[in-house]
Amino acid sequence: MMAMDIFRRIFFGRKEEYWWMKILVPITSIFVALIVGAIFIWSTGRSPVLAYKYLFGASGLVPGPYFKQHFAEMLLSSSMFIATGLAFAIAAKGGLFSIGAEGQFLVGAITAAYFGYAKPFASMPTLIHLTVIFVMVMLAGGIWGAIAGWLKAKMGIHEVITTIMLNWIALYLIEDWLVTGPMKANVETGVSGTPYVSETAKLPIILKGTRLNISILIIIVVAYLTWFLLYRTTFGFEIRAMGYTLIYNMDAPRAAGVSVDARITQTMFVSGAVAALGGAFIILGVLFQFPPVFEGGYGFDGIAVSLIGQNEPLGVFLAGILIGGLRTGATAVQLAHIPKTFPSIIEGLIVAFIALQELIRYLLMKLLVHKKNNTVSGGSDEKAVSGGVAK
Amino acid sequence: MKALELKGITKQFPRVLANDHINLSIEKGEIFSIVGENGAGKSTLMKIVYGLYTPTSGEIYVFGKKVNMKSPHDAIKLKIGMVHQEFMLIPRFTVTENIVLGDEPRKGIVFDFKRAVKEIREISEKFGLKVDPLEKVANLPVGIQQRVEILKILRRGAEILIFDEPTAVLTPEETEDLFKTLRALKKDGKTILFISHKLKEVMEISDRIAVLRRGKLQGVVKKEETNERELARMMVGREVVLEIPRVKVEKGPVVLSVRDLAAKDHRGILKLKGVSFDVHAGEIVAIAGVEGNGQMELVNSLIGFTRPVKGKIVLNGEEMKLITPYNVRRKGMAYIPEDRKRRGLVLPFKIRENIIMGQHTLYPFSKGGILNDKVINEFATKQVEEFDIRPRDIYINAGNLSGGNQQKVILAREMAMKHNFLLASQPTRGLDIGAMEFVYKHLIEEKKKGIAILLISLELSEVLGLADRILVMYEGEIVGETVPEETNEEELGMMMLGIKRKERLVQ
Repeated sequence: MMAMDIFRRIFFGRKEEYWWMKILVPITSIFVALIVGAIFIWSTGRSPVLAYKYLFGASGLVPGPYFKQHFAEMLLSSSMFIATGLAFAIAAKGGLFSIGAEGQFLVGAITAAYFGYAKPFASMPTLIHLTVIFVMVMLAGGIWGAIAGWLKAKMGIHEVITTIMLNWIALYLIEDWLVTGPMKANVETGVSGTPYVSETAKLPIILKGTRLNISILIIIVVAYLTWFLLYRTTFGFEIRAMGYTLIYNMDAPRAAGVSVDARITQTMFVSGAVAALGGAFIILGVLFQFPPVFEGGYGFDGIAVSLIGQNEPLGVFLAGILIGGLRTGATAVQLAHIPKTFPSIIEGLIVAFIALQELIRYLLMKLLVHKKNNTVSGGSDEKAVSGGVAK
Repeated sequence: MKALELKGITKQFPRVLANDHINLSIEKGEIFSIVGENGAGKSTLMKIVYGLYTPTSGEIYVFGKKVNMKSPHDAIKLKIGMVHQEFMLIPRFTVTENIVLGDEPRKGIVFDFKRAVKEIREISEKFGLKVDPLEKVANLPVGIQQRVEILKILRRGAEILIFDEPTAVLTPEETEDLFKTLRALKKDGKTILFISHKLKEVMEISDRIAVLRRGKLQGVVKKEETNERELARMMVGREVVLEIPRVKVEKGPVVLSVRDLAAKDHRGILKLKGVSFDVHAGEIVAIAGVEGNGQMELVNSLIGFTRPVKGKIVLNGEEMKLITPYNVRRKGMAYIPEDRKRRGLVLPFKIRENIIMGQHTLYPFSKGGILNDKVINEFATKQVEEFDIRPRDIYINAGNLSGGNQQKVILAREMAMKHNFLLASQPTRGLDIGAMEFVYKHLIEEKKKGIAILLISLELSEVLGLADRILVMYEGEIVGETVPEETNEEELGMMMLGIKRKERLVQ
């Protein structure tokens, strides 16, 4: 109980009523999604038990054969999901529905590739080289995000529109021009895509015999910093105040002297910078060059990750681990004669149930809270009364 | 015949006893008011009658029959209808669609819109509630929207109509219309339960009045046998000073000076047409006027929400070139907004967060951009105590407080801010008398401290009681300037309607 209390104090700003709902709702959603997934498998005449055994056995989430490899692969992909998930969460906290992580991820990736192989940088020592790369990556991704923020603040164009358009702009700019034009590798080397990054730009491996590199450590720090930013700084205070009021067109933060327009742009900058980190991870830790055809989707998966994680940094981290695990174990489900896209169904189901979280919350409340208190109606009204009657 | 009888109704919430053994009996065909401060348990009681809550104990009789309601559905079947404070209408639907929603006339399996429209025309005529059945609700003024709500419950055959603070959202004219409707319904034999904390209205409309305080019934009185003062005393539990004590304060130098200020509203219509005035230290200048005569644009210009078309604003001797909320606040302006839910508070934020908003970037609340929780909590705890914010819990969301306590949070914040000019825009809007008195007390205290106050108010009694100087606004202009000693409500009312003008006494 003591440990729970400390946990609650650290992550939920203390004294939140029914704070555990925030954890219980996503867990319930995941659980229900797994059950529904099992029903799907069972209805096709295959064994759900076997499917889940292979899926989780190879996911790196639970110990099993080749655990070390799976674990490393899981963390490797999780770090990218967490990056885009955090990016979505930061914007969401500020009341902005950013779909732009995909484009920012690409911008981050191409920036990392360029500064990874470009001549003047390639001869630097690893530490300095990586620092330069990451600064440039975050700057580029941040600017890509800030464009959408600025357009919203100054012109009132909705961020959903602008971020989607910026995604396409980034994609075609990079794939159809940069990678096949100015940044094309020397033809004689037989490499398609951009040149490979220098050795000094590769992320150091932290687990011998695997591909696991420091990206997971970086993202843990970034997740913590995101939490710190949101809950411990004046900037985060303003982002959250804005987030609660922006959607409903309320002016309280502005009337109190918060420069809302500037904050929108800044929030989108931070969001973009974090998403771009994911792009750097994939280039510097997995691909080592920007390939001619890039398999994307990390940005969109980030939205799912953030929703499952309730837009809270810790939640995003855990959800990123889960999705990373499902993706890692995906190929193994084929052993149970199930296509490897099956984990995506699970993912979709989880998101679907998260979208129904108000219903799940309501049912859980009815089941767990109201039985005890013997009251009939929803929680907020009661609090309103308790707030006033004491007068 | 008794329409409704409540016997020993008790409602216990997890931490609060909202209703404590309430016995009421309401005759058929009377207008029965229930008054009490915000949070006295009026709404809870009505929600019990409407089946939204089940009482912890007690019995309800409707038309002499004992009932056991589990949901509003049961209440509707028992011919009980409720007009909620916040309307339950769909803006994009027409009046007809809104009224019949949930109980649509059908032709086979198809919604019979024509018959629905005809039906609405009929009941609208029968009860004298004029509406256009084909108009979209979004295009209707609030008063008419309320009418749609009333029609909705009448169509379901309601005999007992509950009105939960129906006048809170209405203009005085709309209120008058509503009262006409209520009287007509009464004549029709309907029973009306009227919930309010506005004593003047209650005295005008009711036959009998029940007073609640802290969940307990204080008594039921006939309108003829009581007066506002007595009701106020029953509500608050002590003598309430409705008269505001006059305080003389030596006038100081000019703090705010506005010259030839003009501004447009959000639709681009010129609403403020060149006003000029000064506010001195230790002086309360009141702007009186009917809502929508440029007050909003004046407030928005002063706080930096709209860019004025022309004119200048001088605050503390410095002409404000770029007016943003941040800038004016740093220059010493405090602001009590007219709409505390939208402009004053971030509702899902806790008291401790709301109470420092705007000052959160200043030392000691934060240093180098990092918040100091310890200092914030100490400050919040101190302010909650000093401003008597109930409950004394700095971790409660502002949205869960009663209106009076929300306003106290705003006061606690704004008063603590470094300022010498206070822009108080309808500071008592929607408050009960207890909270009103509290606001008045603090405004007078501010004045004693030598702070210049610009009070924008729609309540004439407030203007006459508080102001040192009154400016009357009509159609975006100042049409009169006077002092409370030399005028009365009647004259102010005439000026507010643009019938009379009064030259300036002093420049």
